[in-house]
Amino acid sequence: MTSGVEMRQISKRFDAVQALADVNLELHPGEVHTIAGENGSGKSTLLKILGGVIKPDEGQIFVAGEEKTFNSVRDAMKYGVTMVSQELSLVPNLGIAENVFIGHNQSKNKFGIDWKDTDRRALEILKRLNISVDPRREVSTLPQHEQQLVEIARALSFDTRVLLLDEPTSSLAPNEVSALFKVVKQLREDGVAVVLITHRMSEMLEISDRFTVLRDGKFIDSSDRAGVNENWLIDRMVLNKPKESARRHFDSSGRKAVLEVKGLTDRAGAYSDISFEVREGEIVGLAGLAGAGRTELVETLAGVRQRSAGNIFINGSEVGKNSRTALKSGIALVPDDRREKSTIHEMSVRDNLMLSQHKFEIRHRSKKAEEKIIKTWVEKFGIKTSGPDALIKSLSGGNQQKVVIARCLQTNPKILILDEATRGVDLGAKAEIYEILRNLADAGLSILVVSSEIGEIFEISDRILVMHAGELSAELDRSKTNEAEVVAAATGVK
Amino acid sequence: MKFRLPSLSTLPAWFGVLVLEVLLIIVMAITQPVFFSGSNLSNIVRSSAIPIVLGIGMTYTILTAGIDLSVGSVLAFSGILLSGIIEFMPRYLAVVVTIALVTMIVGGINGTLIGRLGLNSFVVTLGTLGIFRGIAYLVTNGTTRSIDTGPLINKIGDGNIGPIPGPLFVVVILAGISIYILRSTYFGRDVYAVGGNEFAAKLAGIYTSRVKMNVYVISAFCAGLAGIMQVGRLSSAAPTAGAGLELTVVAGVLLGGTRLSGGVGSIWGTVIGLLFLQTVSNSLTIQGVSSYWQQVVTGVLLGAAVLFDRIRLELSGRAKSKEKK
Repeated sequence: MTSGVEMRQISKRFDAVQALADVNLELHPGEVHTIAGENGSGKSTLLKILGGVIKPDEGQIFVAGEEKTFNSVRDAMKYGVTMVSQELSLVPNLGIAENVFIGHNQSKNKFGIDWKDTDRRALEILKRLNISVDPRREVSTLPQHEQQLVEIARALSFDTRVLLLDEPTSSLAPNEVSALFKVVKQLREDGVAVVLITHRMSEMLEISDRFTVLRDGKFIDSSDRAGVNENWLIDRMVLNKPKESARRHFDSSGRKAVLEVKGLTDRAGAYSDISFEVREGEIVGLAGLAGAGRTELVETLAGVRQRSAGNIFINGSEVGKNSRTALKSGIALVPDDRREKSTIHEMSVRDNLMLSQHKFEIRHRSKKAEEKIIKTWVEKFGIKTSGPDALIKSLSGGNQQKVVIARCLQTNPKILILDEATRGVDLGAKAEIYEILRNLADAGLSILVVSSEIGEIFEISDRILVMHAGELSAELDRSKTNEAEVVAAATGVK
Repeated sequence: MKFRLPSLSTLPAWFGVLVLEVLLIIVMAITQPVFFSGSNLSNIVRSSAIPIVLGIGMTYTILTAGIDLSVGSVLAFSGILLSGIIEFMPRYLAVVVTIALVTMIVGGINGTLIGRLGLNSFVVTLGTLGIFRGIAYLVTNGTTRSIDTGPLINKIGDGNIGPIPGPLFVVVILAGISIYILRSTYFGRDVYAVGGNEFAAKLAGIYTSRVKMNVYVISAFCAGLAGIMQVGRLSSAAPTAGAGLELTVVAGVLLGGTRLSGGVGSIWGTVIGLLFLQTVSNSLTIQGVSSYWQQVVTGVLLGAAVLFDRIRLELSGRAKSKEKK
């Protein structure tokens, strides 16, 4: 049998969503294994199970041929499995070296921890990653991509036999990516199995020895590097490829600006001096890497985040600074994280959809009238629900998102802002959401779409704005630009 | 024909407590005939009324993911305030003025600090718990004041209205109004929304700070009313009244399935939870068990209820996973 790690028949559900169904994965020492798949295909969930972060509902994990249970991150580390997750898990107000060795610092002298030796060992690892920083520097003062590298340094500080990297490159610049890949290759030589998730096709083709493709939580195919090229991957990852003809042709001439943003600066410094406008009936895409300040920017527009300077105008009149006045002026936001920011989990579809309908004070809600409104949205958007009183969490991700979009539209917005609107949404629903947005724009609504997926940005936008490190780095006409130009602007390459 | 039990997850969280309550009543009725006498049953109802009134207010605050620890002290403060003003005006007016003042003063302080300024509810109400208990002692110099209650105050605290115990009357009206508010009004929906996901509620345009402020005003109103009921029950106002009662009330609310993290819960649950605690306490007394044990039993029940709820959710989650396969 294998001397590596094997996952067999892994299944996991989150409420109504079957995230994984009977997925198998085999990892051999000294290979780089890419798990490919669209958003919501279950890649991250699979990695989290192997990393001990979440428990599978069913399935077995074998380490060197023996079955083991992974109940915690600690368990996973015991068997040599270390995970570097998408979300950073550093202690922000501790130093770099402290973070690297947190919980397993072996540098000791007779008084306790030997900090000099800790720093020395941290520097060794950081050098392998090709970064030179003071190991005592507080992690919170580092830019996000360097924090990511500290996280990887921490993983390297263990005796790791299986390293799990969940989108390690999403916030890195090209030279940092190549430094990281050099380390990955080194680890491969040392006999470590590296599992990689990345959205960038060129990266996975460059470094991987083996590929496994997931779609909608199911195992689709697996192959050695030799049998794989771009088309092989796309054919398996995507069920229905979006058609070129679906794109809109938008003529901006003579359209007035609906949303105008002038010199907007975040109080906490996530972005600064942002100015742009969105015209009537236009779909503007806002591209950029994670941590570029896009979510913070749109949350400020919606009045749930504080600014230190700048103004926001809707049809020429200034918008107030809290969420109620923003909504009243016509700014509606579909936020990036459904579970944390937009749905109220324990509430029904009806309550969630009608949440922006207010008559303050103790006023009666007419159940009949509300159900009639809900029925029209359910029909219009094809929302699949057992009824208006079903809990929102019983719906699939795509249907939940449609409910949130309907809630926003119910307020008659002048501009609809969507932040990562198709994250965790299956492909069918994704296409439906795109269709909904196009129809809305055709009817004259202005739309701002924030997305980390370049494909999505190109699929839907008429004009593309790009953010990098808190600043607008480019404004591009979709029909006159290409993906390489957007990626360059997003990663800060001039 | 297949008969299927309703699944655990579709039953309300308080259903288990209701079953226990019924079982307890049956067992006690068989083993201790005294328990099932009319006077004992009405005694249970009367002694449950004040915790339930406080519990209704508490349910609002816990639903918004807050808590109001000041209710026991405010109950005492309300009684003392009544004793101070009752000589200067007609009794019914004194009742109205007392409740209005308590609502404005206590609700104003708790609501402004927690709702408007966003301070932590536990800390703020722990502060007001001390302040109003202290004031009650200061004003009375630690002594109990007897009050000539007259028929109105007596009726809502202890007496009968027709054949129905007065306190029961108050509870039914208050619970009925609250069930309506929480289920069928915009404000009620906002209370659940703020506790369920405050960010989402704010983003949807709900005036979250005002909702949070209002729940503390409602809780203060309930505590003020409970203070009057206590005076009616004892014909006196004591600065020690309701000491430690906030913990019983919180226990009953949680026993009734309201989640401490907010967003889930009901008035029904609170009524049943507190009624159950009172029945247990009454049963133990009848069995001749020391009152010290009653506190231990309350603690064990609370732990068991929370554990049971966890198991219930876990089981229903697993069942769902199997079903879809």
